[in-house]
Amino acid sequence: MKRSSTILTIVLILGLLLAGCGGNPPTEKPPEPAAPTQVESSVPAQEQPTTPPQPKEVTVVIGFTSSLTGAQEVSSKRQVNGLNLWMQQVNDAGGIKLSDGTVVKFKAVTYDDESNKERVQELYTRLITEDKADFLISPYSSGLTAAASIIAEQNGKIMITAGAAEDDAYKTGNTSLFQLYTPGSQYLLSTVDMLKTLDPSAKIAIVHENDKFSTAVVEGLKPYLAEQGFEVVLEEGYASDTTDFGPIINKIVDSGATVLLGGGHYPDGSTFARQLYERKAGLKFISLLVAPADSKFPELGEAALGIATSSQWELSATHTPEEAAALGKEFYGPTGQEFAVAYETMTGDKPTYHVAGGYTAGLILQKAIEEADSVDPEEVRTALEAMDIFTFWGGVKFDISTEAHGLQVGHDMVVAQWQKNEVGELKRLVIWPADVATIQPLYPIPSP
Amino acid sequence: MNAWKKHLGIVLPLLTVTALALWPVVTDNPANRESVFTILKAVALASSLNILLGYTGYVSFGHIVFYGFGGYVGIYLLTEKGWSLGEALLAGGVASGLLALLLGSAILRLRGAYFALATIGVNEAMRAFINNFELFGGPTGITLKFSVYKEYGGAAQALQTAFYIGAGLALLALILSYMVRSSKFGLGLLAIRENEDAAEVMGVVTPRAKTWAYVLSAIIPGMVGVLFFFKNGNVEPHDAFPLHSSIELLVMVMLGGQGTVFGPILGAFAYQGMRGYLVTSPVFKDIQLSVSGVLLLVIVLFIPAGAIGWLRHRIPPLRRLLA
Repeated sequence: MKRSSTILTIVLILGLLLAGCGGNPPTEKPPEPAAPTQVESSVPAQEQPTTPPQPKEVTVVIGFTSSLTGAQEVSSKRQVNGLNLWMQQVNDAGGIKLSDGTVVKFKAVTYDDESNKERVQELYTRLITEDKADFLISPYSSGLTAAASIIAEQNGKIMITAGAAEDDAYKTGNTSLFQLYTPGSQYLLSTVDMLKTLDPSAKIAIVHENDKFSTAVVEGLKPYLAEQGFEVVLEEGYASDTTDFGPIINKIVDSGATVLLGGGHYPDGSTFARQLYERKAGLKFISLLVAPADSKFPELGEAALGIATSSQWELSATHTPEEAAALGKEFYGPTGQEFAVAYETMTGDKPTYHVAGGYTAGLILQKAIEEADSVDPEEVRTALEAMDIFTFWGGVKFDISTEAHGLQVGHDMVVAQWQKNEVGELKRLVIWPADVATIQPLYPIPSP
Repeated sequence: MNAWKKHLGIVLPLLTVTALALWPVVTDNPANRESVFTILKAVALASSLNILLGYTGYVSFGHIVFYGFGGYVGIYLLTEKGWSLGEALLAGGVASGLLALLLGSAILRLRGAYFALATIGVNEAMRAFINNFELFGGPTGITLKFSVYKEYGGAAQALQTAFYIGAGLALLALILSYMVRSSKFGLGLLAIRENEDAAEVMGVVTPRAKTWAYVLSAIIPGMVGVLFFFKNGNVEPHDAFPLHSSIELLVMVMLGGQGTVFGPILGAFAYQGMRGYLVTSPVFKDIQLSVSGVLLLVIVLFIPAGAIGWLRHRIPPLRRLLA
């Protein structure tokens, strides 16, 4: 017995040393186990000795980390799906053809960051130095993006952000970030505009997740509510891992609020909506961040009815070439319907705004390369700074001031609400702005 | 010569960490630098925890609170008050030391499971407090301006500087750990670990000794926190007080050998290396913390003294080398 435990102990100690040496660091070349997931394009082999001379082909490497596990898993995976769809389409179409005959194709290199800030800088450094990424897509969330942006900045790599809405990350003096989303501080302004027409005397309760993004949204919301003459009767934050909203719902009811604005991300938002329904909170209108924008939200059943959300993009109110023409802007890329059909064919799922965001991140990089007629980072950066276009996603234009370089200034939000169609199915429908709304707001929402 | 032999136990840890720190310099590889920084950070934190866990025998499940609190104080002073990185590092260390002094006076009266539970409560309470403390940015935390890095030669140079400071802090943690272990004060701590009541009877003023051990184990984590958040460009409550990191530190210390100077280095190196593999492994990436838990169980069952403790026990000539 004693002998066997000695042998086991020796094996354990050797195992420890091997584990230390066999993992990530430190190696001049990345070890095999840590090899990234490579999403190879469906590109034919470049060097076929027997084929006749072909145009010069360049493969641009796009590096990013994504949250394959953890709290941001749902949204992050959808975003990556969107990016992969774009990449597949552009590669299958033969890539981007530059004026000198060069054909540009794309390859993705990605790691799972687990939403862990400790690893983001390590992985982005690896993406740039080991995997030779030419352009970067941000991690999902403003905090992770802030950490990654330092690596991007020091290496002069352009990073298009598709999941980092909070404003602060773009006000640090960096010149590498280009934000696709409407900034967090403007998330709920459209909802307030709608309430102004529906019920100017509404009493507002603001209840939000106590995290960076949701708090930034609320900080942008409060002055606008005051400006529009609304009374805020309750403001409350809750921890990200809250599962029992009972005490908070009691506070909402006691405050006399008629409208609830807030929420956070998917796990807390969906739980909050369910418990509001179960506790019969009796609110006339509820708008929550992020969670109701997901296609899994109707799994809540009747609790989803009437819940609204601010959305970066909705298929039913997708932006069109006609809209772009009316504004005197160029429309670039596929229409919303073409994008949705392609996505459904690929995944069997309907696209959410996270999917559309991932797709558009690739699309604007494509447009910038075309405009620059080069893959040189500085020329692409100049093209991005000059960009002022429309896609099915909506307007894309970046602030180029030193105070907020890369902040999105061309894109607007829509307000969507879960309502029942003629056959009683829950559908997320656009209710604001009025010119793109597909249905009237359900106001007040029916009592349980 | 005798003095050299007397302090042989610190030579191997210092050489190991120095070699580790020189690896990215020799290879001139930024990816290696980032990976090694993660290990050096773990070495500094685990060695600090070892002063309390290894020498005194008190299990702290919330030791990461000093890393978060010191980090917040330092980053606040750096961004809002214009302090230099060096000053902010010192301030972070002092703030964490003071916090440990206050907390230690209260919770070190508890023993065993009660102390362990109290440390978890302290970490969660501090996170809730910072989340609502507007001076530190509340839930949104504090974001550094890029202009901060210009004072250190730009972002690239600042990251390089942060790496060297990280290596310095890891070495400092080892020296501190060794000095404590080889001092009369450290002997008192070891006596507390073996039998606190007996130590008291033998003349060790246990409340004071435990409190100072707690303070010493908190200073370097506070400084590491400042450095890490400076390097990352922002600090938020959920990043500053991750409870799972406290558990990982416990695993590292127990893996390498609690109560030894070299043990936490081996533990940090092995654990971070293993973690680097697990998080990129398609099989284990979703259960990496569970794997860590199983590992801890195996260590407690078969080698409770950790790898270094076992080697010291089995091969007596190594005792002088593996302090």
